[in-house]
Amino acid sequence: MRQILNKLYQASGWAAAFFLLAICITVIAQVLLNLIDRLSTAITGEAIGLTIPSYGDFTGFFLAASSFLALAYTLRDGSHIRVSLLLQNLPQNLRRVIEIWCLVVAATMALFCTYYTGLLVHEAFTYNDLSTGMIAVPIWLPMTPMLVGLGILAIALLDELVTVLRGGEASYEGKGENLLQQDHADLHAE
Amino acid sequence: MSEIYLTVLLLLTLFVLLGSGVWVAFSLFGVGIFGMALFTDAPVGSVLATTVWGSSNSWALAALPLFIWMGEILFRSRLSQDMFSGLSPWVGKIPGKLLHVNIIGCGIFAAVSGSSAATAATIGKMSIPELSKRGYPESLMIGTLAGSATLGLLIPPSIILIVYGVATEQSIARLFIAGVIPGLLLVALFIGFVVVWALFNKDKLPDVIEQLSFREKIRRTRSLLPVIFLISGVIGSIYLGIASPTDAAAVGVVLALLLSWCTGGLTRESFMEGLMGATKTSCMIAFILAGAAFLTVAMGFTGIPKLLALWIGSLELSPYALLAALTVFFVVLGCFLDGISVVVLTTSVIMPMVEQAGIDPLWFGIYIVIVVEMSQITPPVGFNLFVLQSLTGRNILTVAKAALPFFALLLFALGIIIAVPELVTYLPNNM
Amino acid sequence: DTWDMPTPYPDKTFHTENIIEFAKDVETATNGALTIKVHSAGSLFKHPEIKNAVRSGQVPVGEFFLSLLSNEHEAFGADSLPFLATNYDDAERLWAAQKPVITKLLDKQGLMPLYSVPWPPQGLYTNKEINSVADLKGLKFRAYNATLEKFAQLTGAAPTQVEVPDIPQAYTTGRVEAMITSPSTGANSKAWDFVSHYTHIQAWVPKNIVVINKSAWRKLDEATQAAVLDAAQKAEQRGWAMSKAETDAQIQVMQDNGVTIVNPPSEQLVQDLKAVGAEMLKDWKTAAGSEGEEILSAYGN
Ligand code: NA
Ligand code: NA
Repeated sequence: MRQILNKLYQASGWAAAFFLLAICITVIAQVLLNLIDRLSTAITGEAIGLTIPSYGDFTGFFLAASSFLALAYTLRDGSHIRVSLLLQNLPQNLRRVIEIWCLVVAATMALFCTYYTGLLVHEAFTYNDLSTGMIAVPIWLPMTPMLVGLGILAIALLDELVTVLRGGEASYEGKGENLLQQDHADLHAE
Repeated sequence: MSEIYLTVLLLLTLFVLLGSGVWVAFSLFGVGIFGMALFTDAPVGSVLATTVWGSSNSWALAALPLFIWMGEILFRSRLSQDMFSGLSPWVGKIPGKLLHVNIIGCGIFAAVSGSSAATAATIGKMSIPELSKRGYPESLMIGTLAGSATLGLLIPPSIILIVYGVATEQSIARLFIAGVIPGLLLVALFIGFVVVWALFNKDKLPDVIEQLSFREKIRRTRSLLPVIFLISGVIGSIYLGIASPTDAAAVGVVLALLLSWCTGGLTRESFMEGLMGATKTSCMIAFILAGAAFLTVAMGFTGIPKLLALWIGSLELSPYALLAALTVFFVVLGCFLDGISVVVLTTSVIMPMVEQAGIDPLWFGIYIVIVVEMSQITPPVGFNLFVLQSLTGRNILTVAKAALPFFALLLFALGIIIAVPELVTYLPNNM
Repeated sequence: DTWDMPTPYPDKTFHTENIIEFAKDVETATNGALTIKVHSAGSLFKHPEIKNAVRSGQVPVGEFFLSLLSNEHEAFGADSLPFLATNYDDAERLWAAQKPVITKLLDKQGLMPLYSVPWPPQGLYTNKEINSVADLKGLKFRAYNATLEKFAQLTGAAPTQVEVPDIPQAYTTGRVEAMITSPSTGANSKAWDFVSHYTHIQAWVPKNIVVINKSAWRKLDEATQAAVLDAAQKAEQRGWAMSKAETDAQIQVMQDNGVTIVNPPSEQLVQDLKAVGAEMLKDWKTAAGSEGEEILSAYGN
């Protein structure tokens, strides 16, 4: 079970990274087409009109996919921001209680978001809502990664809750970036 | 007045959620859900889903993760180190030394990026390790970053000026031009502050004095070439007409990859690490933005910001008193909502007041951007604070305290543009 | 009752001014029993979300740009077809022909149209004089939907995608060289900052529409329903008049700010464009099916 869950979080993180890469590739392809058009204008005086249809829409869809699919992965890495002032200064027992409160609140809201996003996707599917640009994309399609991402986040939060309730430590404990304390001398060996 | 109780209740909810350590994004969602459930008949869940979707699939927002990725790539390459060793001979004699790199770096990057969070994340990722390695004081390092990253909003291009221009039908081109002099003014104020601070706190700054020959200086300076190439490539792609300011972020990523490959820093591992790092940071920001967007809509349904603005309008103040009142109003709202939301929620009530008081709406746009910049560095909801918290692992109050002097400088700049409005209006009126 | 009403355009746009009047009319006529709170400039829901927000009952009423739905059904886009209806009289006839069809289509989504108000006829914004379609050849032309992409291809222009806030900068840096939009949008975005010529080709007369959620509608008592319908009818009349006044006023504003106004456009250009329009109408007929036929036969074309 543990391994399946870990693989799920890892896979959704990779999928998110893939969509970030897809944003970059789509945009840079359009920039290159613009460059060709620019050269064509300089040489022949006329632009060709090379465009990736609905590239703005697609970039937006990829962005949503990347943002939501990364949620659980980011959580477990300790990269979601919280105010940890109180948590740091409490005795161990109380800390656990507060941590459980945070996880219950977050998991409830994640489930709430997932449920209503599910309804939204379902509605877009039944009415066959389409995007408004050059290419008519059925809008439930780009909405699905948002649903999946929120669902995995809910699972991840419940997973943490179970761990903490059993007396374990949350996976994000003590993680997160700190550029101040790391010694970067090794990164920049000259 | 029940709105007052309502407001206090919602603020208390926000403080309880944030203070007990609930993640920022969830706290914002929570307050929004609570506010809507208690005070409106609208279906909370559906509104939430619609808003979160609508605010997350925007093309204009795509620049944010790309710039963050660019920062990650540069951080893993030699380029950020090269930049600091190339600049240090030149700033060595100025009190405050490399701290000015934060300010100038943010100023230059602001000419590429339209958001302050992207500016803080990109420059911070490069400069924090370099500066902390050299022993610069933490508070000033974080403070200069938090403060100068707000320039991303004032120096064109700027997301918030676009939002304001569209909402109030001001020319976006003119607004962009109007932001230039106030932007430079802020750079000067920030540099001035660091110089003065450094003169009074010599003991707190590293006192390495490098004695370099002229030839060595030139040799070191040459290591700045890749960075200059990168910046001119990104800005050039905009002015050559092959990339919109959003597209330019992708140009930045590709050039950063290219440079990092040329200098031998690009491996499969470093590429993957950079990509995953960018994915996480942009996910964190996007989730908070989604929470903020929902809270904004919830506030729109409850009507609180509009009521408060109407109340200010009912006081019938003189222009200066009105500006003072609005500043307090925006700063207070800006503590809890992100700046763009404040503009979106209140312009339709505030603009008639402002125009009636004879205030130039173009000038007011710049005024509002500076106020929004201030809101980026006030707790508990301040995006630059979130970014720096995530980069340094310091808690938000420590970061906010470090940014406090820069908050004061922004306030001072507001005073200056009120006293000398021509600083804003001269360029656009002579375009 | 208080109704929240999201609209996409800013307060000073005449559409929004008209809606604010409409809200006041409703409030007066019902003695405050129904008040409508207008949330302008996309401050509640963004433009692409407004229709679905009304459909799912998140808000009871909302406004949007009608041909935004043309991907869902061609019938919604009849008013954005180049050179089908090019003046207010034609546009009024077209709306009369279009209304029963889109009422049926919207009904399937639980929506009911209240009223519709046109934008001023669409003109051409360029940095050189355009006297024939040949002058458009190779120019980068702003296309934001399939119809305009097709239009660009037929005129030999190069379609390019530019988001609205990015337009001024795109013109200055040459990413776009021609676009078609209304004199209102041109004047409001201070087009003189980035174009030299405005050609009043009156390519089409697109409309905004105000729709209402039917289950919210059924909850109103008869007197309130009548008051809303009455206010809507007034708003439609007022809106069309505002739109007409807006056309001349905003062209004048552009002229005063140094834009060269070409009105009327050259014979050659009009002829060429009409030919393009006829070509596009053929495609549209095939795509719009029986609903399209219904509109065209009622329109008398
Ligand atoms: Na900027
Ligand atoms: Na703030």
